[in-house]
Amino acid sequence: MTVLIQPFDKPASRWRGLAGSPQIASLVILAIVLVGFSLARPAFLSPLNISNMMAFLPELGIIALGMTLLLTAGEFDLSVGATFALGPVIVMLLAQNGVVDIGTALAIGLLVCIAIGAINGLIVTKIGISSFLVTLSMLMIVRGVALYITQGFPLKSWDQPGVFVTLLADSFELGPWRLYTSLWWFIALTALAAYILNFSKLGNWISAIGSNRNAAVARGVPADAVKIGLFIVTSVLAGLAGMISAFRISAASPVAGTGYELEVIAMVVVGGTALTGGRGTILGTIVGAVMLRAIRNGIVLVGVPGLAFNIFVGAIILVMLILHAFIQKRSFRR
Amino acid sequence: MSAGAEILRLDRVRKSFGNVHALKNASMVLREGEVVALLGDNGAGKSTLIKAISGVHPFDGGEIHVRGQRASIRNARDAMDLGIETIHQDTSLAPDLSIARNLFLGREPVTLPWLGVFAPLDFTALRQAATVLLKRVGISKKLDADVLVNTLSGGERQSIAISRAMQFAAKLIILDEPTNNLGVEETHGVLRFVREVRAAGHGVLFITHNIHHVFQVADRVVVMRRGEVVAERNVVDTDLLSVEALIMGVDASTLAKDTAAH
Repeated sequence: MTVLIQPFDKPASRWRGLAGSPQIASLVILAIVLVGFSLARPAFLSPLNISNMMAFLPELGIIALGMTLLLTAGEFDLSVGATFALGPVIVMLLAQNGVVDIGTALAIGLLVCIAIGAINGLIVTKIGISSFLVTLSMLMIVRGVALYITQGFPLKSWDQPGVFVTLLADSFELGPWRLYTSLWWFIALTALAAYILNFSKLGNWISAIGSNRNAAVARGVPADAVKIGLFIVTSVLAGLAGMISAFRISAASPVAGTGYELEVIAMVVVGGTALTGGRGTILGTIVGAVMLRAIRNGIVLVGVPGLAFNIFVGAIILVMLILHAFIQKRSFRR
Repeated sequence: MSAGAEILRLDRVRKSFGNVHALKNASMVLREGEVVALLGDNGAGKSTLIKAISGVHPFDGGEIHVRGQRASIRNARDAMDLGIETIHQDTSLAPDLSIARNLFLGREPVTLPWLGVFAPLDFTALRQAATVLLKRVGISKKLDADVLVNTLSGGERQSIAISRAMQFAAKLIILDEPTNNLGVEETHGVLRFVREVRAAGHGVLFITHNIHHVFQVADRVVVMRRGEVVAERNVVDTDLLSVEALIMGVDASTLAKDTAAH
């Protein structure tokens, strides 16, 4: 049997292999975007602006971590934006009406998120309906519940200091920057997700399921259980992100997180994770999350009119995806 | 070609999908160092039979004996634990994973096994074992264990699936259309593997539509029709036309006349 694979022994070809990987390409584009905005508007790099970006980044970034794992396994979740709202709304309703203390309220909020993820996962795997349809329906149900139980009004958030507020939304000064504890959550969860995807047995299963589910099942991999678990993880991370956000801005709104599902999926695929499953990258997702955040922020700073702003965001995402498609094609041709 | 101890015995196994009786009353035996070709027209129940043996879907009734012991196979893991490895048609490997990760999929070597599914992969062991395996089955010394499967040819993929089965199968390897979509040279590579597997004392059960391959590697043919095993022949005692006649359920002499008429 002839072998057509060329060994990567020449340094030049290894270099090209590195530049050809989607993560590195994303990283290069991110650098260009950051440098571009800094040159156009030095205020982009001001401590205040960076602090501002860093406050938002973890909230979408945490959801993106779960979405990366789920997409790698070949499914996605459109209900994350709604779960982002419902999680904290439930917590605030319970805590403010004095039904339970804040700790119990948070636990119940997270349990609801677990239930949402479990229902998504069970319907997708056991009944076999595509995750697009299941989670789209779930988006409406969850958003509807959030609106109904609040009667459409935002709830004033928990404003009494305590261990949970400190854990989720405390802020601190680091040099000239003002940072939130959510950044630590984001860093820790990123490390965990990267470990799981790249280095653990479970990560091997996740990639295999997304790449060829039947092959994975034939090797005894419990594909359905893994997918259900990932749906739960994604919902819980969305709820957690929602709670962090609610504590930070001291309000839990039933319409919070509207459109986040698409923004998060954009972050993940811009980073190089395949929408069709099998190939996922946590590093890429971080790059994607920072890039989308920086673009949203930078475009306003350079003075693009508010209403034109989405044109640019969409165009930049499209350019990234075209770039990935070219990289993908070239690596197959080799 | 003396056959050894019995590996697999199926006794009147059944399987239905709703009102469709895909397997009615199938019985067969397979021994060590034996290559058995499972033949039959489309819908004869061949795939249903091997999917049940490999744990994709369990039998509804009947008995399975593995190495003389009554066995129950409810999922892929059960089959693998009994020493039955299956190479499914076109679906054996995950294309986005490296060769090494594919070879050990579902049986990953890990450090810190108490972490369960979160245990870290033992990359050194993974790569070493994969390299040894690739060399042992004689694919190629140049095939790197870290190469992604989606860059390989169909024949290379099939070789990797077969070498994985050889690595883990204590006794029985099942191949579903192993030479489908392969070129001539690649097909010969796969048939060579089948002979090596037999030489190593494993049993092989394979499905094929190519009767020429049967006469090249098989010791025995088992013919199915409408969910039943209808005939068994030693390859040395039969010929191509007779086997085709058995598959179609017609008389060999009629078929001979038919062929001659053209």
